[in-house]
Amino acid sequence: MAYNKDLETREVQATWDVTTYQYKLDGRGAKVLADGMKEKTIRGIKCPQCGRVYVPGPTYCRVCYIDIDDVVDCSDEGVVMSYCIEMADVRGNPMDEHRVSAMIKFDGADTWFIGTVHGIDPMDVKIGMKVKAIWKDVTEGNLGDIQRFEPV
Amino acid sequence: MQRKVAVVAQKQINSADVGMPRERMLYELVKSLYEEVGISRDDIDTFVLCSNDFNAGHTISNVFEDCPVGAYMKDETKVEADGVWAATYALARILSGLYETALVVGNSQGGSVMRPYLMMDYQLAPVYDRQLGLLNELSAAGLQAHAFLAKKGLTPDTLDEIAARNLADAAKNPDAFNGKAGASAADVAATDMLYEPLRKGHCYPFTDGACALLIASEEKAKKLTDRPAWIRGVGDSIDTYYPERDVVDVKSVKLAGERAAAMAGIGLKDLDLVELSAKFAHQEPILLEGLGLPADGGAASVSPSGGAFGAYAFNAAGLVRIAECFKQLTGSAGDTQVEGAGYALAHGQDGLCMQHNAVMIMSSEEG
Repeated sequence: MAYNKDLETREVQATWDVTTYQYKLDGRGAKVLADGMKEKTIRGIKCPQCGRVYVPGPTYCRVCYIDIDDVVDCSDEGVVMSYCIEMADVRGNPMDEHRVSAMIKFDGADTWFIGTVHGIDPMDVKIGMKVKAIWKDVTEGNLGDIQRFEPV
Repeated sequence: MQRKVAVVAQKQINSADVGMPRERMLYELVKSLYEEVGISRDDIDTFVLCSNDFNAGHTISNVFEDCPVGAYMKDETKVEADGVWAATYALARILSGLYETALVVGNSQGGSVMRPYLMMDYQLAPVYDRQLGLLNELSAAGLQAHAFLAKKGLTPDTLDEIAARNLADAAKNPDAFNGKAGASAADVAATDMLYEPLRKGHCYPFTDGACALLIASEEKAKKLTDRPAWIRGVGDSIDTYYPERDVVDVKSVKLAGERAAAMAGIGLKDLDLVELSAKFAHQEPILLEGLGLPADGGAASVSPSGGAFGAYAFNAAGLVRIAECFKQLTGSAGDTQVEGAGYALAHGQDGLCMQHNAVMIMSSEEG
C-alpha cells in the first residue's frame, strides 16, 4: 500500500536543549585586546615572518605556522570593508529601527572587526569610508568598551 | 588494493584535562609530528579531519581545526564519526591516485569541555526514546552488559577482570592516561556502581584528546621512514538502531572483520594483536566473539595498549587504536610491545551498543 502522507505524517513538537559547555579559549590574544581597550587602544599580535597583524591575536600564524607573540598597537580608526543594513532579526521579525552593522579593518590591522555604524543615514554608508571607534567614557577592558563607530 | 599505502607516523595526546583550547592542542600535536618526521605542512596533499559538532559545542566542528593542523588553503575534508572511518577515507583518497600523503587528525575534549555521555542522549530517536528519558549511553551499555552476562552464564567478576587487565596495560603505555599499575579485579570491584552491573571502573574514561596519523603512498612512505606499517585491509558494517537488533551478537563487527581480512588476504586467526574500542568491559568479549576469536584472544594479544580504558577521546579513539597498531608493528611500543607483531587489527565503533563497526588490518611487512 502506498504511503499516504496526508493521513500518515504527523508533527510532534520537541525541543533540542543542548547541554552546557566549559569552552576553553586562547587567553593571550583576548587579554591583549581587552587590556588595550581599557586604555582605548586597539591591540593585536603581529607575525614577525609575514607581517600580518591579527586582532584579536592568536597564538600562532595561520599562514606561516609559527608561534607568534609580538604585541602591536593599531589605530582606533579604520575602513568599512563591507556593511549591511539590518531590517529584521534572524527569525524574520521586522526591527523597529534599522541598524548598520559593518566589518571594519582598523588601520594597522589585517583582520576585520564587527561593529555598528551610527551618526549617518544608513543609505549613505559606503564601502571604503573611514570610521572611528566611539569609546565609552569609562572603559572596563572588554568588547563592550567600543559603543559604536561613527564616520570620521 | 590498487596501490600500497602505509601509516608513516603517529602522535597522540590524551588527558583528563589537557588544559588548552582544542585549537592550541591540535597545533602543538601536529607541529610536533611535522618536526619529528622532518616535513612541513607543504608536504601534505590532503587533510582528513575527524570531529563532531556536539562534542565541539558548535556546528561545522572543523572550522577552527584547519589552521592549527596546517591546512590553511589546502585540500581538506571532515569525517563526523570515529577515527577509523577518517583513516579509511584518507586511504581511499590515496588509492584514488590523486594524493600521495594524507594527514588524519581526530579530536574532542570530553574530559573538560562537555560530558561525553550526553552525545548519545542526542542521538536517540527524538520522538520516542529521548522523550521517555530512560535510555542513555550508560543505561544502554548496562542493558547490553546484562544480556551478555546472562547469555554466557557469567558474573560481573568477568567485567572486573577485563577492566583490570586493560587498566594495568594502560599503565605501561605513555600515551594512555587512565592506567593503574598492577590493577586487580578487586580494585575495579571497589569502584562506584553506576548502572548495574556496570561500575565506573568498567567504563571508558572521559578524555580530552587528539591523534594525528600521517598516511602515504608506497613511494612517499619509503622516503619518509624506514619503518612504515602497511594498511592491508579495511572493513565496515552498520546494523540497525539500538532496539531493533541483538546487542550481544554483533553481526556488524563480524562482517567488518571478514571484509578487512578478505582484502588483506589473511584469516582473522592470523592476527598477532587486536586493538579494540571496547568502551565498556563487556564489549571486549562481544567484539572478540564477533571477530571469531576466543575470549582471551587466542594467539592475538588483546588491546596491549590498554585499549579504550587508557583513553577514549571521541573521534580520536579509532585513530589511537591505529596508532597503537603502528607502534606495535614498527617495534616502538615500549613496555607494551608484542614480540614479533606482524599483523594487527584496529577497531572503531559508533552508535549506541556498537551499531556501527569499522576495522583496519595492518602489517609490518609490505606484502
